[in-house]
Amino acid sequence: MSPLDSQSGVWKKKGTGKSRKQPKGRQVDDQALEDVQNLLGDSPRRRDLLIEFLHLIQDRYRCLSAPHISALAHEMRLSQAEVYEVATFYAHFDVIAEDDAPPPMLTIRVCDSLSCELAGAEQLKAALEDGLDPSQVRVLRAPCMGRCDTAPVLEIGHNHIDHATPDKVITAMLSDDTHAHVPDYEGLDAYKSAGGYQKLLELRQGGDWEEVQETVLSSGLRGLGGAGFPSGKKWGFVRANTGTRYLAVNGDEGEPGTFKDRYYLERTPHLFLEGMLIAAWAVDAETAFIYLRDEYPAVREILLREIAALEDAGIVKPGYIDLRRGAGAYICGEESAMIESIEGKRGLPRHRPPFVAQVGIFDRPTLVHNIETLLWVARVVREGPEILSGVEKNGRKGLRSYSVSGRVQNPGVHLLPAGSTILDIIEACGGMLDGHAFKAYQPGGPSSGLLPASINDVPLDFDTLQPLGTFIGSAAVVILSDQDSAKEAALNMLRFFEDESCGQCTPCRAGCEKAVKLMQADEWDQDLLTDLCQVMSDASICGLGQAAPNPIRSMMTHFAGEI
Amino acid sequence: MPDGAQINTVTFTLNDEEVTVPEGFSIWEAANGQGLKIPHLCHKPAKGYKPDGNCRACMVEVEGERTLVASCIRPVSDGMVVKTESERARKSREMVVELLAADQPEVKHDAASHFWEMADLNGVTTSRFPKKAPDVVPLLDDSHVAMRVNLDACINCNLCVRACRDVQVNDVIGMSGRGATSKVTFDQDDPMGGSSCVACGECVQACPTGALMPATVLDENQAGDSKDFDREVKSVCPYCGVGCQIKFKVKDDKIKYVEGIDGPANEGRLCVKGRFGFDYIHHPHRITKPLIRREDAPPKGLNVDPGNWHTHFREATWDEALDFAAGGMAKLRSEKPTYVAGFGSAKCSNEEAYLFQKLIRQGFGHNNVDHCTRLCHASSVAALLENVGSGAVSATFNEIENADVAIAIGCNPLENHPVAATYFKQFTKRGGKLIVMDPRGHGLKRFASHMLQFKPGGDVSMLNAIMHTIVEEELYDRQYIQAFTEGWDNMKDHLEGFSPEKMAPICGIEAEVLRDVARTFAGANAAMIFWGMGVSQHIHGTDNARCLISLALMTGQVGRPGAGLHPLRGQNNVQGASDAGLIPMFLPDYQTVTDDGVRSAFTDVWGSEDFSGQKGLTVVEIMDAIHADDIRGMYILGENPAMSDPDSDHARAALAKLEHLVVQDIFLTETANYADVILPSSAWYEKSGTVTNTNRQVQMGRPVTPPPGDAKEDWWIEVELAKRLGLNWTYTHPREVFAEMKLNMASLDNITWERLEETAVTYPSLSPEDPGQPIVFMDGFPRADGRAKFTPASVVPPDETPDAEYPFVLITGRQLEHWHTGSMTRRSTVLDAVEPEANCSLHPRSLRDLGVEPGDYIRLSTRRGSVTVLARADRAVAEGNVFLPFAYVEAAANILTNPALDPYGKIPEFKFSAVRVERADSPVAAE
Repeated sequence: MSPLDSQSGVWKKKGTGKSRKQPKGRQVDDQALEDVQNLLGDSPRRRDLLIEFLHLIQDRYRCLSAPHISALAHEMRLSQAEVYEVATFYAHFDVIAEDDAPPPMLTIRVCDSLSCELAGAEQLKAALEDGLDPSQVRVLRAPCMGRCDTAPVLEIGHNHIDHATPDKVITAMLSDDTHAHVPDYEGLDAYKSAGGYQKLLELRQGGDWEEVQETVLSSGLRGLGGAGFPSGKKWGFVRANTGTRYLAVNGDEGEPGTFKDRYYLERTPHLFLEGMLIAAWAVDAETAFIYLRDEYPAVREILLREIAALEDAGIVKPGYIDLRRGAGAYICGEESAMIESIEGKRGLPRHRPPFVAQVGIFDRPTLVHNIETLLWVARVVREGPEILSGVEKNGRKGLRSYSVSGRVQNPGVHLLPAGSTILDIIEACGGMLDGHAFKAYQPGGPSSGLLPASINDVPLDFDTLQPLGTFIGSAAVVILSDQDSAKEAALNMLRFFEDESCGQCTPCRAGCEKAVKLMQADEWDQDLLTDLCQVMSDASICGLGQAAPNPIRSMMTHFAGEI
Repeated sequence: MPDGAQINTVTFTLNDEEVTVPEGFSIWEAANGQGLKIPHLCHKPAKGYKPDGNCRACMVEVEGERTLVASCIRPVSDGMVVKTESERARKSREMVVELLAADQPEVKHDAASHFWEMADLNGVTTSRFPKKAPDVVPLLDDSHVAMRVNLDACINCNLCVRACRDVQVNDVIGMSGRGATSKVTFDQDDPMGGSSCVACGECVQACPTGALMPATVLDENQAGDSKDFDREVKSVCPYCGVGCQIKFKVKDDKIKYVEGIDGPANEGRLCVKGRFGFDYIHHPHRITKPLIRREDAPPKGLNVDPGNWHTHFREATWDEALDFAAGGMAKLRSEKPTYVAGFGSAKCSNEEAYLFQKLIRQGFGHNNVDHCTRLCHASSVAALLENVGSGAVSATFNEIENADVAIAIGCNPLENHPVAATYFKQFTKRGGKLIVMDPRGHGLKRFASHMLQFKPGGDVSMLNAIMHTIVEEELYDRQYIQAFTEGWDNMKDHLEGFSPEKMAPICGIEAEVLRDVARTFAGANAAMIFWGMGVSQHIHGTDNARCLISLALMTGQVGRPGAGLHPLRGQNNVQGASDAGLIPMFLPDYQTVTDDGVRSAFTDVWGSEDFSGQKGLTVVEIMDAIHADDIRGMYILGENPAMSDPDSDHARAALAKLEHLVVQDIFLTETANYADVILPSSAWYEKSGTVTNTNRQVQMGRPVTPPPGDAKEDWWIEVELAKRLGLNWTYTHPREVFAEMKLNMASLDNITWERLEETAVTYPSLSPEDPGQPIVFMDGFPRADGRAKFTPASVVPPDETPDAEYPFVLITGRQLEHWHTGSMTRRSTVLDAVEPEANCSLHPRSLRDLGVEPGDYIRLSTRRGSVTVLARADRAVAEGNVFLPFAYVEAAANILTNPALDPYGKIPEFKFSAVRVERADSPVAAE
């Protein structure tokens, strides 16, 4: 010590015990950094791959620990906050603080959306919680898994169990059957031998995209994700913008009750892929992104295989199709939220204007299509527009893939004329379950609310339900019977919206939360709820908040006796 | 518009009236311009804040649209019909506030919050909605000394996230989770005080609810009122050279809290020092009466407790103290005028700096007057004057907005110029390429396109290699070189010997990286170079700066928007003090003292005799001259050489040796320990005067609070001393000094005291209306023929290289919270609490090799002395290096530093000493 250091002019002392041992905040842990670097390998450290990287860590370590998050942030040159907020936004990431224990080896997710709830999901979950060792298995609730025709459903690891029972769970656990089951489907060779991809290759050789667009338009095909925008019109909008353009496929089929996209992808994936490549060709897309919900691990496996097969066959360049994995967020089915998620961010819907056709992925013009829509693009292009426009019923043209669940004999995807009424649909499903009388139905997911059985002569198509204050959406039809409470169903729907609201805007974030509380009252404060419904519809940023009040409104309009 | 560009307008209907506004205006802006206040929560109409449209409190109805529209984020379009007062719109706005009001806490953290103001505007006082479940409401986070986080009042408006991410780009705050349970979090939901938060307080300033508040505004029940103050005063920050403008909220003559305001350099932003480092002025150590050394005082040494000085000093009246101070100086003057030298201050006003140099020159007839610019950018200034003819920046740092490439070398702006750094970080977010060159991988590394963590002292080899590539690949700007420079052929020849392959082992950067940097910089449309003490504080500091100047010249990156040279100035008024002539070689405006005509121009104004035409001694030379008995008395105003000079033991011994030392300061500094008389002065916040920041922006400082006790403004003390030294000074206000300065300072043309009372002005200002020129050298340089010069630089090794006995490299510098010698910041509650004690940083591997745990104490020894200090593990520091901040008296870095000087700038080599590192025992705090 220097002689001067001990003098009384040294008015500040050492040994305070209050000084940090390192720079501010959490520092990167060497081991965690090595873990992350090993997992990422030589992938480019692009921001848009953040969610993919989080999956790698979650898959390997069953959770995202604080050291891993800070290591990933360091590796990607992001802040911890940026990684943390993304990680905590998505339900399928388990974010763990330094002092928290990692989750148990096995996770069971029990679907609690309407069809599964009707089929006893709550009792199933309770039984599992009672019967299983929480240190070995954890049981979580989860929103719709897109298998409503086999309700109740759960996912153990990544194995989905239909018509689930505790016994089936035990069996799966004992046999370590926790991985996705890939069903038989039509592979590339089979599809090609039936003439598949000929049309695509022809078009690439000198086809006229405007001609194709005209064909699609003339078929009457509309967006089957739920918005119903004429499919043929989008291409021109996107194409009108110069520079790099993208295609994004919305495979985030999250509207409870909907499972048609999964149904088709598990059977004829190439029909969709050819449709996608035709659309990508039409807008001259730089990359075709497929955003697939994480609830469909079997479909993911199929697509991974078949995209590789397409690359091997020279039909697409390696990397041209970029399959992205959702992470458990319904809101990412909203197209601009999906784009945010593809960019590696939280799924917050964007303000419009500008529309994604002008400012989409990486702020470039982006064509967004639903899976089923693209499947029909392929069919229309291959088989002609008449396969849709030639079908007419009740004054409506075209076909609709109704995902039907609830109290019917044969739930499932039913491809019916778009003019079908609810009675036609119930009939197609072999009628009501024994002992159940038709009481009410959800025409198109919870966003569409509930209609009473008495409204049974309306074609369930785009535009036809507007006068009733509802819409067909993704055609997720759930049939309720006299044994079901409409009020409970509406509450189930609002709870879903409360869970899935991104939280960005006040009317939806606070509105859903307050609505759930108000709806639990024995007697509803209808004046306040009426005002709240109006404000949520008027002032929410996106369709989630705007449509979330529909179940409340339908209760007040059609089931006033229950509230 | 100044550039004559046409503004496109749009016309729309607002509540039945036609309104025309510039294209791009939002409905909210347009309505606001009509005097219509649409309620808003998440929208902050301030620079840097993009509208987010999330709160939905500003909804309006637009004809033809299915839903309402958030007026803050929707641009007006031609023919749009907007109704702000429709039933639908009003209902939405009211209910949004009502929904949020339901969850507001009982205790109002800010009774005057923007939220409640907006609720009033909507007529909302209560809520019909049920409250959130208590278990999802976050609890108080009081982990940070400066701020309180009460998220029970948070409305998720996201303003703090934008403040932290978009405006300050500190990226600490995020919105985590989803839906109704989403919440504001720091890092990974860490307590604010344990997070990477740098306490810039931007979030506090942005928060509309009181969820984030300065701790000083809240009581123990977390209740507060941001409008509870007596007055607001606008002034300028006293710390670094950025020159942030601040508004002070004063209650009972004490500063309660502050806000950043829209100054040209800071646009509302502040850093932790500016926002929370103000209460040093209220510290009990303030000297409130003149003090004279007691006859029975112990021998001079660093032995005075600044909180209890009575053993060494006695109080005196101003008359007695001034007579004593001036008398001692006059006595020495009568023996030999050069016996008295002066250190002025870069912390005081332009006027005070001017008076100080005038007092030495006029009162003692010589030029032995200097200040701490000698210790920071003297070498930069030497190189700039030599090669471009002007010592100030060629472009403001804000010009980075127009650049596409920038180099930041030898500077750590995240800690030393935090508000300037925000612009650098924003530049990278827009896609700008930032090339960071520094032996430390400091905070800018994350934002860098190229991080060149070179070997300490390797600057010239690295820069020459880059320039070699530019020559080799003919990437230089032939036209510019021909039109505006001289010495190019010579430079080209010189650079031949510096191939990247040859330089790589010297600077430690791979040849290919050096080439890539050369191509990137030379390929820029507009590029800037920023540098700091890492460049200047070397014995080859002037050479380093010459290289940077040459690099800019050969690529034509000077004198255009987004292009230029910018040495980041360290002190609030180091630019102004240098401009005002507080330098031994120069009179005001860098007019050389050796020129008879220059001197006579000044003596004409001063009405006095000629003074010495010899360049005076510099800071370190003055210390040596004391040891050599050539200087026996000093007048030191607001400087602390006992801490800031290299080889402190040597400097302190010099101070102890002085026969008569007059120290003028606000605290009993380490230097004042050695004083014979101490004159208590006012702090910056207690006086009027102008300051000039790193951007050449002249700004007005105003008294915020009165000085304590009998403390006086520095200019008044200077005038009183001058009178007692027989000078004819009659100033009664700084504005008179400013007027006199203008007579011989062309840089102040068109800038008047009256203008500065209204607004900041950048010099040069070309007319009484011109706000000033952010860019200079647009059409040449203030040199012969208007040409800048290439001055080649060769590789000079550091004065002292590591060896077996002293194997590590010691680098000194600053830390975010502590400013220079710590006299102010260590007396600021917040800053002291965040960084309470001396510390140094080493790479974790270096510590492991030494067998030292982070937080343990180590002894650092150089050939000049040794200190014991807490060791931190910090990956930013390269292995084999030690970084030691110099603000801490208990482990004063300058005990260790090497006083070897740069031959041109006379700046010491603070950035490189050979040092030995050993484990040490933990000290026990005496308190």
